[in-house]
Amino acid sequence: MKRPRIGIFKFTSCDGCQLSILNLEEEILDLIEVFDIAYFREASDRPLKAPFFIALVEGSITTDRQRREIVEVREMARYLITIGACATSGGIQALRNWASLTAYKNYIYPSPDAISALATSTPVSEHVYVDYELWGCPINREALLETLVSFLIGKRPTIPGYSLCMECKHRSIPCILVSTAEPCLGPITRAGCGAICISFGRPCYGCFGPKEDANIESLLRHFEALGLNQKDCLLLLDKMNSYAYRKAHIEQGRR
Amino acid sequence: MKKTIRVDYLSRVEGEGGVTIEIRDGAVSKLNMKVFEAPRFFEAFLRGRPYPDIIDFTARICGICPVAYQMSSVHAIERIFGVGIERPIRDLRRLLYCGEWIQSHALHVYFLQGPDFYDVESAWADKRYLPVAMRGLNLKKIGNQIITIIGGRAIHPISVRVGGFYRTPGRRDLTSLLPDLERAYVESLKGIKWASSLPFNGETLPDIEYVSLRHPEEYPMNEGRVVSNRGLDMEMDGFSECLQEYQVGYSTALHSGIKRDSSISPYIVGPISRLNLNHEKLPAEIRGVIKESGIMLPIKNTEMGIIARSVEIAYALYEAIRIIKDYEMPDRAFTDFEPKGGVATWITEAPRGMLIHTYELDDRGYVKGCNIIPPTSQNLGHIEKDLLNFIENNIGKPSYLLKKGSERIIRSYDPCISCSVHLLM
Repeated sequence: MKRPRIGIFKFTSCDGCQLSILNLEEEILDLIEVFDIAYFREASDRPLKAPFFIALVEGSITTDRQRREIVEVREMARYLITIGACATSGGIQALRNWASLTAYKNYIYPSPDAISALATSTPVSEHVYVDYELWGCPINREALLETLVSFLIGKRPTIPGYSLCMECKHRSIPCILVSTAEPCLGPITRAGCGAICISFGRPCYGCFGPKEDANIESLLRHFEALGLNQKDCLLLLDKMNSYAYRKAHIEQGRR
Repeated sequence: MKKTIRVDYLSRVEGEGGVTIEIRDGAVSKLNMKVFEAPRFFEAFLRGRPYPDIIDFTARICGICPVAYQMSSVHAIERIFGVGIERPIRDLRRLLYCGEWIQSHALHVYFLQGPDFYDVESAWADKRYLPVAMRGLNLKKIGNQIITIIGGRAIHPISVRVGGFYRTPGRRDLTSLLPDLERAYVESLKGIKWASSLPFNGETLPDIEYVSLRHPEEYPMNEGRVVSNRGLDMEMDGFSECLQEYQVGYSTALHSGIKRDSSISPYIVGPISRLNLNHEKLPAEIRGVIKESGIMLPIKNTEMGIIARSVEIAYALYEAIRIIKDYEMPDRAFTDFEPKGGVATWITEAPRGMLIHTYELDDRGYVKGCNIIPPTSQNLGHIEKDLLNFIENNIGKPSYLLKKGSERIIRSYDPCISCSVHLLM
């Protein structure tokens, strides 16, 4: 039987989520048995050749060229899956969405005019249809495996959409928001990391983005009651998933 | 007669870059190493953020070497605040860095550069290469395990904070790694012999300037003075002043060189520089293996970066074992401090070489300004020099050989293009 072909595509990102594929140290050989890793620029010279059963897409869309390329990737693939915060929600570079691109360019480059970039960093789903989105900065390796296997056998991946708080409860980690009153994003954030930060005694800073129907307004009001000013509250949302949290917050206001 | 050699999209490197070389009438008329990775503007959006964000944010510049970004930034902030860290914390940070050197080097040696010497397209493309790839996988895994125990996860770890760590591991968490580390160390010594037996291109550059940190007692990671084989010897702050960054039209990464009289001279950072300038700090056993393998120091052929990386994998494993054996869990995971304003530069040795961070903070510890110079943007000028040397020495050869040779040279620097987009990060 011919193995289904996977292509791995990179847009604007840190390469960490692609690295998660190579970090499947024990499983990578098994993965190669069942899938043909047909395009993976970071690890292989194989030239780009369509079609693909799955396109794994890392990175957000931040240039004109990428806006065209993502459409080409969509056309080459039966299923398109985004991996990580950049591809799924615009990533940390989406902080520019709330600022002036010209000011950013001027701050960094001696000749800012030579730099071409869009004024925004946006998730892949704002450009083409996405079959499945894997959240996380970085993604969780087990979730990646689960997703690939699920698409291979034609089932829906079992990855929860509930909040990080569930993972703390599963691991019997005392609630940091209650016990130390530190501003933890757990209640509005998707489970997926295994509550790493809280187990290290620091509040969640939102690597996995907003959970389904997150009540962001209520948590922000709670933070204000703890003594944070409004600006600092927003800074907590404005990290790797800034665009997704802000959007969820606005949508919540509309409900 | 004009001949153009073009690599539009380099493979087996991190990030997006290419190279264009034009040969006209038997001489190189144009040579551009271009980076087209899209800019991410880290230095711009860090402004106005509170200091703890610096550590989490800059990690996101690179998924391959997040620890390096955390190490350079946390030390710079501690310098501004005047925070001293205790011995066990210093050791743990060094151990965390060992983990990153191991995983990053193993990735490059066995998955990115290694296939070049076997003429295979990837580490899994050919059964011949499989035993080599397996050694790489095992080494990479143990590196990632160290990072995960100390940092919570292998990519973008979360435990580093100003004054120390959010939580420190228990002694047994670390000692449980010892048997695997000992085995990996033995393998890594074989790795040095393997690397030194590979078929290299034979190109040597006569006048390379190697730059790295140097520490009086140890192989450099988090501390030291900046030194070079051409007489540089200065404090970290001094180095950023003698650097000149410049923008080239074909690249989103800024290049940099050392200002000398009226010219800017390219230099090289990374494993070759560190090894050439610090090999006497290696343990006797590893020095012995270097000698047995017939490795001549200093290394002058940049393709032999794979040897330097293999030596550093062995060293990082040796050092990890040493630190773990001595480790006692500290009473406090971090020291207390008060934020205050100021400016500081700190340099640490990322797997790919010196990573320079400068921050200006206000009295509450919010970022007023910053500048980050990753190793790859320091190496870009030197990569071009290296390519020019290679093409000039082989100018009559067919284009496909020149193209392949050029790709190999670029890859041997382990360029991290997503980083180099420095500013474009």
